[in-house]
Amino acid sequence: MGAANETAQNIELAVDMRNISKVYPNGIAANQNVNFSVRKGEIHALIGENGAGKSTLVKMLFGMEQATEGEIFINGKEVQLTSPAQAIEHGIGMVHQHLMLVPSLTVAENMVLGMPPKKGIAIDYQAAVRMTTEIAERYHFNIDAEKRVMDIPVGMKQKIEILKALLRGAEILILDEPTAVLTSNETVELFQQLRHLRDNGFTIIFISHRLNEIKELTDRMTIMRGGRFMGVHDTAGISEQEISRLMVGRDVLLELEKDQANPQELVLSVENVSYTNEWNKLMLDNVSFDVRAGEIVGIAGVEGNGQKELVDILFGLRNAHTGEVKVNNESILGKSQRVIREMGVSLIPEDRMLYGIAATGSITDNILADRYGNKEYNAGPFFKTKKIQKDTEQLIKEYRIVARNQSQQVDMLSGGNIQKVVVAREFSSCPNLIIADQPTRGIDVGATEFIRKRLLDLSREGAAVLLVSADLSEVMEMSDRLLIFYGGEIVASFDQTSTLTDEVMGEYMLGLRRQDKKELEEDAYV
Amino acid sequence: MYKRRMVAFNILRGLAAIILALAVAAIFIFLASDEPFEALKQLLIAPLVSFRGETAAFNVQSLYQILALMIPTMFTGLGVCVMFSADMFNLGGEGAVMAGGFVAALIGIYLPMPAGVHPVVAVLVGALVGGLVTLIPALLRVKVGASEMVSSLMFNYVVMYIIMHYLNNVFADRSKGSTQSFPFIETVKIPQLVTGGSRLTYGFLIALVFVVITAIFMYRTRWGYQIRMIGINSNFAKYSGMSVASTLILAQFIGGLLSGMGGAIEVLGRYNTFLWKELPGYGWTGITIAILARNNPAFVPFAAFFLAYLDRGCQLMSTHSDVPSEMIAIIQASIFLFFAAEQFLSGARQKLVVKNAKDELAAMEAETAQEGK
Repeated sequence: MGAANETAQNIELAVDMRNISKVYPNGIAANQNVNFSVRKGEIHALIGENGAGKSTLVKMLFGMEQATEGEIFINGKEVQLTSPAQAIEHGIGMVHQHLMLVPSLTVAENMVLGMPPKKGIAIDYQAAVRMTTEIAERYHFNIDAEKRVMDIPVGMKQKIEILKALLRGAEILILDEPTAVLTSNETVELFQQLRHLRDNGFTIIFISHRLNEIKELTDRMTIMRGGRFMGVHDTAGISEQEISRLMVGRDVLLELEKDQANPQELVLSVENVSYTNEWNKLMLDNVSFDVRAGEIVGIAGVEGNGQKELVDILFGLRNAHTGEVKVNNESILGKSQRVIREMGVSLIPEDRMLYGIAATGSITDNILADRYGNKEYNAGPFFKTKKIQKDTEQLIKEYRIVARNQSQQVDMLSGGNIQKVVVAREFSSCPNLIIADQPTRGIDVGATEFIRKRLLDLSREGAAVLLVSADLSEVMEMSDRLLIFYGGEIVASFDQTSTLTDEVMGEYMLGLRRQDKKELEEDAYV
Repeated sequence: MYKRRMVAFNILRGLAAIILALAVAAIFIFLASDEPFEALKQLLIAPLVSFRGETAAFNVQSLYQILALMIPTMFTGLGVCVMFSADMFNLGGEGAVMAGGFVAALIGIYLPMPAGVHPVVAVLVGALVGGLVTLIPALLRVKVGASEMVSSLMFNYVVMYIIMHYLNNVFADRSKGSTQSFPFIETVKIPQLVTGGSRLTYGFLIALVFVVITAIFMYRTRWGYQIRMIGINSNFAKYSGMSVASTLILAQFIGGLLSGMGGAIEVLGRYNTFLWKELPGYGWTGITIAILARNNPAFVPFAAFFLAYLDRGCQLMSTHSDVPSEMIAIIQASIFLFFAAEQFLSGARQKLVVKNAKDELAAMEAETAQEGK
């Protein structure tokens, strides 16, 4: 093994996934004809936005999901990977983004979990400590085998995950966004160790959407967008601009006919909001902007740059550490969701299965969620069932929800129709502020078009709309004004989107450029 | 179409669980008995049919006894349905039954009242006390995050020993050989519905009325709606603007209320004095019933009937054959296992779900194609 024998003619492939397609039972095509090949002894980046299909692809490589079509070769041999155990047998190890360690056990105990060294019927703890120390020393990882996992920092936990994979004989390591939870010092250390592993013949697949890290660390990269393969490149031979174009460039789905916005009174004002998360990471840094009635303000940015935290704060699901948020000149901080809704705010949540619906409830149940207490639906203690059914029927028709009938369970609908149920509820409550967080993610073209059209109509009828989306074509076509988030800050703002190009957007979104203070202030408020 | 498929599937799954459980029971009966066919006849047929020599006749008194057995368990079953619907595993129904029965008994012994009012007051106060018993684990969960399963389970014994203390030391009728209270005042007793010794009281009708009330509450009022939505997805409920904590507490209180009412009606209908010296077991049966009924109040009478029938069958089997009455525990446990195990036949369910998803997609595509034309 080793990187030395890698010549132009004789390149050994550690991983070769050919023409991989994956369709989930709900009809979402996560991968379409993807080719992914990784040479032995390289650090290979898999890069793309959230929802680009990276995770699905590596899940298939690690045996957690099965491909609908396509073949997988490991070290030149075709394999069927139907479980992680099989992937491990083939020398594949995976470090998940959410670390999977038992906090109350020691490092050594976690290391040997599932394969403990035995002394008779008892677990030989000393042997476990010895094994852990040994493997840590061999690869120059500095860890304390006898500490409890709950007492060690995140960076250390990640090292343990890597060592765990190595201890199980992994020669191909998959790291799913390993730096997302690390401080910059920890990241530097991790990179040193990964390079060291590469030099010892290990193959590393590094999933990320951070350009600077990829430029710094990797040898080659495979770019994905919207479930499709966008090419494989030598890291040294491609510019950051080119990467960003391939990664976030837009596929024009449809053209909306949009007339000029006519912004009215101030509805949402966000003033100097900063937020630090539970790992002490600054997720929002002094964010300020306004949204007026009758306009759509878009927030673009690669996911994980503070948009989620902002939306949670705006809807009272998370408490802002500093700053002020006002709706119609009234502070919403510390208010319950019911009060915020009563103030005329509605939200299409980013994670529709977690927040947007009660999966095993009927369509009626799901439509009713924000209005079950309204006078029109209650007669004394009882529901006016007929009225509820009539209105639900009306909404199903109006929003073209494809369903057998209104008592159908929501999780049996397709993704697009589930989202239409959410949208039907959120749009029909006469909101004066609509927060739409990734309103069309992962749903079919028809539903996407429908939802965008509706959102536009509502804004033109006088609602204030805040649109958060990682989909460039969506924010660029829909927004009357556009803000770009990077690292928890607004790094650019534009009062018109028609003159913007993908390249410029990409550079701001990936932190290659930012506007100065004066430019920002000109457009963050109207 | 889809819905019919799923309903049919769930009914089939229920029947399969019952048949498998009875098969397990039959195996044990064949192992334990020298006359297994006689034992099986007693278990399965005798609860409704009496045999005199060659002739078999419908035994109406035995049916009354089965219905009488259903009175407390319908209440606890309903209570558990409400509590479990909120996705809280509150096991306090048992303590609520005993506390409700005890307090109703005290009112029946020491507080003379006019005939019509007496049982109503006793039952309502008993219900209220039952509600308080299940309220405490709910508060502990909501306020300090303690597992309601553990605290409610433990709390049952706290309730039981408090009652035993007062029964032994304060309220015992010393003239009697065993520990029991003084007799109830006649006015508090719940009247019999039929003649004979079956103890089938008006409590049965009240239980049926509460089946309807609970079903309406769960499916036709905003409170029941909130309870169900929180049970399905509490994140969704919070995001929609529901008050999750207070609804959880309400559900647990109502669950205890129903269980306590069941305890009170049972004590005042079946006995003349309070003589429970341990947890009566109706709370546990209520859990089995709620699971059989899949938390739907409308199915509670059927589940309660099934379990009462088995109970009666086992009594008869242990009287008239050589199989011990403990057999009922095995049968109930196996049914409980087959039903509670969500994994049971889940492979078949998954196939059904996937098939439906595919149908759905096909239908959608057809529709889109049509719109395009």
